[in-house]
Amino acid sequence: MSGSRTGNGSSPSSSRPAADGGSRQQPRARTDGGSQQRSRSRTDGGPATPAGTVADGERRSRSLRNRVERRALAVLGATAVALLVGMFYYPVATVFVEAVVVDGAATLSVFVEILRDPFYFGELARLFAGESPLSVAGDLLSPDRRLGIVGFTAYQAALSTVASVALGLPAAYVLARYEFPGRQTLRSLTILPFVLPSIMVAVGFVAAFGRNGPINAALGLVGLGPIEWLFSLKAIVLAHAFYNAPLVARLTTAAWESVDASAVETARSLGAGPRRAFLDVVAPQLYPAVLMSAALTFVFTFGTFPIVLALGDFSLATVEVFVYRLIQDLDYAEAAGLAVVELVISLSILYAYLRYEARQSAAARGARPLPRKPLRPPSLSIRDLLPRLGIAVYAAIAVVVFLVPIASMLQASVTDAGGVTLDHYRFLVERQAGGAAFQVQPWPAIRNSLLFGAAALAVALPMGVIVAVLTTRSYRGRKLVDAVAMAPLSVSGIVVGLGLLRGLVFGTEIGSVEIAITGAVAIVAAHAVAGYPFVVRTVAPGLERLDPQLLESARALGASRVRALLDVELPLVWPGVVAGAAFAFAISIGEFSATVILATGADQFTMPIAIERFIGRRLGPATAMGVVLLVVTSVSFVVIDRLGGEHRGL
Amino acid sequence: MRRRTFVSALGTGVVVSLAGCTGDDDGSENGNGSNGNGDGGNGNGNGGNGNGDTETPTETPTENGDDGMENGEDDGATTNGEESTLTVGTYSAFLDAPSISPGEWLKEEFESTVDATLKWDAPENEVNHYIERQLAGEGSGADMYVGLNVDQLVRVDDELDDALFAEAGDVAGRDQVKPGLSFDPDGRAIPYDTGYICPVYDGTAIEAPETFDGLLDEEYRGDLITQDPAASATGRAFLLHTVHQYGADGYLDYWADLQDNDVRVLGSWSDAYGAWSEGEAPMVVSYSTDQVFAAGNDANLEKHQIRFLDDEGYANPEGMALFSDANEPDLAREFMGFVLQPEIQGEIAERNVQFPATDNAELSPDYDELAHEPPEPVTFTYEELQGSISEWIEDWERQFAQQ
Repeated sequence: MSGSRTGNGSSPSSSRPAADGGSRQQPRARTDGGSQQRSRSRTDGGPATPAGTVADGERRSRSLRNRVERRALAVLGATAVALLVGMFYYPVATVFVEAVVVDGAATLSVFVEILRDPFYFGELARLFAGESPLSVAGDLLSPDRRLGIVGFTAYQAALSTVASVALGLPAAYVLARYEFPGRQTLRSLTILPFVLPSIMVAVGFVAAFGRNGPINAALGLVGLGPIEWLFSLKAIVLAHAFYNAPLVARLTTAAWESVDASAVETARSLGAGPRRAFLDVVAPQLYPAVLMSAALTFVFTFGTFPIVLALGDFSLATVEVFVYRLIQDLDYAEAAGLAVVELVISLSILYAYLRYEARQSAAARGARPLPRKPLRPPSLSIRDLLPRLGIAVYAAIAVVVFLVPIASMLQASVTDAGGVTLDHYRFLVERQAGGAAFQVQPWPAIRNSLLFGAAALAVALPMGVIVAVLTTRSYRGRKLVDAVAMAPLSVSGIVVGLGLLRGLVFGTEIGSVEIAITGAVAIVAAHAVAGYPFVVRTVAPGLERLDPQLLESARALGASRVRALLDVELPLVWPGVVAGAAFAFAISIGEFSATVILATGADQFTMPIAIERFIGRRLGPATAMGVVLLVVTSVSFVVIDRLGGEHRGL
Repeated sequence: MRRRTFVSALGTGVVVSLAGCTGDDDGSENGNGSNGNGDGGNGNGNGGNGNGDTETPTETPTENGDDGMENGEDDGATTNGEESTLTVGTYSAFLDAPSISPGEWLKEEFESTVDATLKWDAPENEVNHYIERQLAGEGSGADMYVGLNVDQLVRVDDELDDALFAEAGDVAGRDQVKPGLSFDPDGRAIPYDTGYICPVYDGTAIEAPETFDGLLDEEYRGDLITQDPAASATGRAFLLHTVHQYGADGYLDYWADLQDNDVRVLGSWSDAYGAWSEGEAPMVVSYSTDQVFAAGNDANLEKHQIRFLDDEGYANPEGMALFSDANEPDLAREFMGFVLQPEIQGEIAERNVQFPATDNAELSPDYDELAHEPPEPVTFTYEELQGSISEWIEDWERQFAQQ
């Protein structure tokens, strides 16, 4: 669902050490299933609370509460699964089935055809067609090898991932290690690019990087340039970095802030230099976050769609472009087949990451974060100046990649052929004042976006926490379950849209009862399903790192599993919860395809839909609405972070 | 089709409906819903319909009207003294887009002349939405569709065994439609306006070539932006125009040369036009009415020049058609006749910034001066596109995007 606009989405990171298959540290005696039973017998056998001084009524109410709480986990878990099945897996299955059932008969011929088609798989298609691996390998090494659309899509996603990490890491370094005025606000706003519809990014990038744009003008002043990046792979990769570097930055910042200062101090006292201490102590705690954001970036950019054709060219078309066209043409078998191929590749990447994460050693969350350094150099020594010089260079790059395009969006919203104008905003006001019921109006769109966002957050947060709890238990294949639970991040947004139409809007017959689900509740549920994986990814690693004795002690003292989760575990992983909340909210705000299909009328439309609908033969009004989205979401992110208690670190 | 009644749940929009309520449990899976006639299934406001539910239907009443037309009966008059509602599907820009949306005005005008309510419906997937509904065994849920292209009609007929649209029948003013624009050999879709697609160029930067071949000159390297034919009507029209010009055997060679000359194929019309407006290239494939907007924005008309390559412009007529399961076929025909009236034709054209479909439309002289019609309009007929258009686009994609 998130995929509809671009690949964006993201999630915080961290590691998710675990005690499964061959991991190094076992003493985790992970017996959640068992311990639950144990505690049941314990509490059922009478409250283990001190003495009979407790009044009967109180005891009864407590035991009732205990009973409710004990069931809560199971009930919430079942609800989460039901939501996922109803709002995601089932609808998507109504489309995917077309790839394997053609004219009523089960077949794999659709996949065989796609795999053997050099247009999609390039030289590899010959391998699938049964040619000798040696000759294929030989041709793959030749300079005029064919990648095929799938190969090219992976290639551009890999480049985009590298660019996003390269741009995101320095930002994480600055945000985690330095103190300066506005740091917290800046960190809250890093998530902003994430929610921008591709039309806005296209407007901003074309204006910023165009022949007559400010960047070429500036380069011209110093006798450089011009750069002609638009409509090439460079523009696509840069736009992908614009969307996803913030993800890398935010997740890595979180990991960096939870590095324990005393571990570094110990290393230093044992004689390690700063470089050694960084490589041995700090870096290993950052790898999982960096790799997770890289894996997510790859997945999002692998499924990229509108931005490729807005800033690139059809010669750079990706898989999703063809999924879109095939669905337009109602060629469902091939569309579904291609979307499944896309999904398998994305999930493999996520699965590989989860396996890696599981092998990481558990590191205790820092009780005391590393102290931040002032951004203003304390002295004029090389040691103080050099890193800050590097930061200045990075800041200049960040201004070009992030700020100039956003500033260009603002500028586009107040200009037209005749110069500066407020006409585009006047249109918004007029539409608000005089629009008909079947038209999209700005204020309801803003209100809906915020309401759906808040409601989706209220659902996604417990759902993500529950799934995180369930997937951090120890059982065979749980990484597979974990990967499948991430599927909402990796299924083609176009397929999800069609699936929702078929599975929910048209209804399903269960027995003789026909159930159709549309409207606000359905929209919120769809948003929650799209956003919850971020909560899982930000919460699960923290849960897994917790000392299991904490939980066991709480349980031994009679706390139900839910009570222990709420009172002991969640407070300890709170920064992850807040980060996940921000991303879940962002996904909801940016969501387009599910909303537009599930809405029962224009009065349920959100800001991204308003932007799309306000595209006429001039882009001004849509851009003005885009700026409204920019402002509304900026404020929301700052508020979420403040409410979440930023002081806690994330 | 199975009859179904939608009941319940306004606010949340969770709609639960019971299939087979009035004794047609499994029997009438197929076809004509003949057993739906008994209880006035097409009526307005028959929300109860046997379920004993007190809640009001959330869907339009046409929801339960899969019967009706197939039986040849004329159900249009079942207004029962209530004001009838005409549900019209269309694409969203017809209703919402700033400066090109006649929907609101059309609704007001129609309602002021006819004792009926016009309800607009603009599903995201446009015609495909109604195709999907039919494939899923739902009724169309509307009486007619406005904004049908010939290639969409071809797709409808390719994908569905049962007719989605019905023959329009007796519609006033139908004879006034320009002969070159009628695109449906079966007389279902009636054109109500047309656009002409051609390059728009910045006359202060270049003088555009006169011909398609001219676009291949070195002089115009990197000068043209067009759109993905699958995602954009203008892109599709331009591709079809090249097929028209060079033939199904020759257009791919032409495109190979065009690609060598650095043509840019972006996604949507707005992607392309936005890039062109920023001066990224001096030519963009767009509509021949471009100067109407330019004049409206006080832009320099010299920067908004129209070029009909080889004196041709590709016509993209938009039609309206009656769903075969319409509840209000007579009202729908009345609406079509209304749309074809000379003064309405002129007004729709100007509001949609297109050209009228009839030969007696009344256009204001100012508009006429800014909106250019090609000396020779060209377009493919339904028969020519049927069985070919998908292949043309797919072959083009496979050549242009080859990796």
